[in-house]
Amino acid sequence: MNKITEEKIRISQSGALLYLKNPRFTMTALAEEADIKPDQIYDYFSNRRDVLDFFYKGLMLEYEESIRSIEKYAEFTLSEKLSNLALTMIDLMDPYREFVRKTYKYKVICSTQRTTFEKLFRNQLKAIYESDKNQSRLSTAFNRGPLYKAGTYNFHLLVRFWLKDESAGNQKTMEFIDKWTSFVEELHYSSILDRGFDVAKFIYYNSPFSNVSKDTTS
Amino acid sequence: MSDFPSSKYDRGKIFAKTGLKVGTNYAKHYLKNLRGSDKERNSEFYNQTAEQIFSEFTKLKGTALKIAQSLSIDQGFLPDEFSEVMTQAQYSVPPINRSLVRSIIKRELGRYPEDLFESFDTEAIAAASIGQVHAARLKTGEKVAVKIQYPGVRDTIASDLGLAKSLFKRFIKNKEELNDYFEEIESTLRLETDYIHEGQTINRFHKRFSTDRFETPRWFEEYSTERVLTMSFLEGVHLKEFLDQDPSQEEKNDFGQKIWDFFHEQIHQSDEIHADTHPGNFLLTDDQKLGIIDFGCVKHFPDTFFRDYLLLLPTHLERDLEKIKSLYNRLGVLKGDPETNQTEKKYFEFCLNYGFTFAMPYKSDTFNFGDPEYKDLIRGYTKNAPVGNEARGNKHFLYSTRVHLGLYHFLMKLGATVETKKSREIVEERISEKVV
Repeated sequence: MNKITEEKIRISQSGALLYLKNPRFTMTALAEEADIKPDQIYDYFSNRRDVLDFFYKGLMLEYEESIRSIEKYAEFTLSEKLSNLALTMIDLMDPYREFVRKTYKYKVICSTQRTTFEKLFRNQLKAIYESDKNQSRLSTAFNRGPLYKAGTYNFHLLVRFWLKDESAGNQKTMEFIDKWTSFVEELHYSSILDRGFDVAKFIYYNSPFSNVSKDTTS
Repeated sequence: MSDFPSSKYDRGKIFAKTGLKVGTNYAKHYLKNLRGSDKERNSEFYNQTAEQIFSEFTKLKGTALKIAQSLSIDQGFLPDEFSEVMTQAQYSVPPINRSLVRSIIKRELGRYPEDLFESFDTEAIAAASIGQVHAARLKTGEKVAVKIQYPGVRDTIASDLGLAKSLFKRFIKNKEELNDYFEEIESTLRLETDYIHEGQTINRFHKRFSTDRFETPRWFEEYSTERVLTMSFLEGVHLKEFLDQDPSQEEKNDFGQKIWDFFHEQIHQSDEIHADTHPGNFLLTDDQKLGIIDFGCVKHFPDTFFRDYLLLLPTHLERDLEKIKSLYNRLGVLKGDPETNQTEKKYFEFCLNYGFTFAMPYKSDTFNFGDPEYKDLIRGYTKNAPVGNEARGNKHFLYSTRVHLGLYHFLMKLGATVETKKSREIVEERISEKVV
């Protein structure tokens, strides 16, 4: 991660905390909060909205940076990679929980346009699914946009769950992520659909009632 | 869970009155006894129910497994087939995923393991009922073991106990007394899930047992919370690996003597006793010391109970029937006069024989735990313990029995001959101390 991005993330996080004190904070106040000169802040953001929008994008950039430092990340299973994505995002959001509570819905979920955060999130899901070599054959056929969209929607639900989680150390959220990603992995790794597809294909080509069967034998 | 299973077995036997009622075979046996011949047509159904209950129980993770351990389920008293299943379940719990481990450490210690430690092995080296252990190296270079508690384990204690209670209460007549066992296990389990408490226990044991014969880990408080425990790493071999190396009889005796002495040194020095005597918690270190790990389950027994418990040993060897009867009455195993009550007589006869067998190692100056006849004798008594549908015995039998029988079971597996003179003196001294 380059220095400029690091600085932008730092400023946006200062902005998130300032937002809780005054949702209509000025850029001057933000400069003071972030401990930089007022004129310098415009080198990074043009206005308050830019700052707050970048907060969520910054989380994704931090996540991308974090996986580079995980030893053996490439060996992780599907559920471990999905867990890592969800857990790391929750870890990153945790210090800004109140800000997320107040802004996640309108900044991410109900945004009129797909946000950079969502684009980056879907890209991560795409990378995770497409790099996994243990999925069943049929399962890989579903590695498409709708799957990543559904995954992103699931994450929105997870954030809502986490915001209501009052267990010590967010243990309930951890359990939920663990159980959910294990379930998803089971679905994608299970070869039962492959077997079912093989049976269906066999019947299709070998049924006495099938034209295909006659065509192929003649 | 601890609750009910313990109590069933409890009634049946002298020492382990509480622990052994869980087995399917026992349940069948009990049900058969309960039902008259006119109801035998239903017995098959009930037997099946017992099997199903037990089968479900073994599937439970977390505290349920811990409860199973508390009930001495792995101490060789259950039918072989069942013990086998339970052993696998207890010590082969699937580890939690690597991302979860990473996140737990971040939440508990404030930083991810790759930032906090010089190195951190993401593969667990051991996974048990309430947590798993990872090897790591501190920035200072010291190798440590990091124990991580599964999320939500503490929350499952009440629900698991409630489930087990409701299942097993159907077998128990004196349901109120059963609550004592449940409470004992619940309080122990709650302490076991507090890793700060365990860390403090590690410190106390480290002070007591840093000798040329024993080795215990050191606690790293700054790397520990209620759910993450960091301690120094003890290198060595566990019982199974030790036996796989085809050791000589002298080596077996030496290993056995150390664990026998450790048990009695604890009695000698304090009321605090390591109460999780299963083979996974002991190892022989590279410099031939007895390494003791896992201090989650350490018990303080009330003086009155513990003195009576220890008194059972010499009293049985003396064969003083009146004294023995009086002791078992005090310990809640007998509930009436065996002379006039057939049920009490059955229990008393069993207590006499089993108690004597149990006290045998203290009779002479050495004892051979490798003697197959002794092993058969112990197993025979436990498996043919009188059973009934009421809980019997002081609740502290749950863990005192677990410790003591666990020790015997360990030594029988090892096939060691140990010198018992000093330990006998320690027991006698301890009993006298309490009398004074």
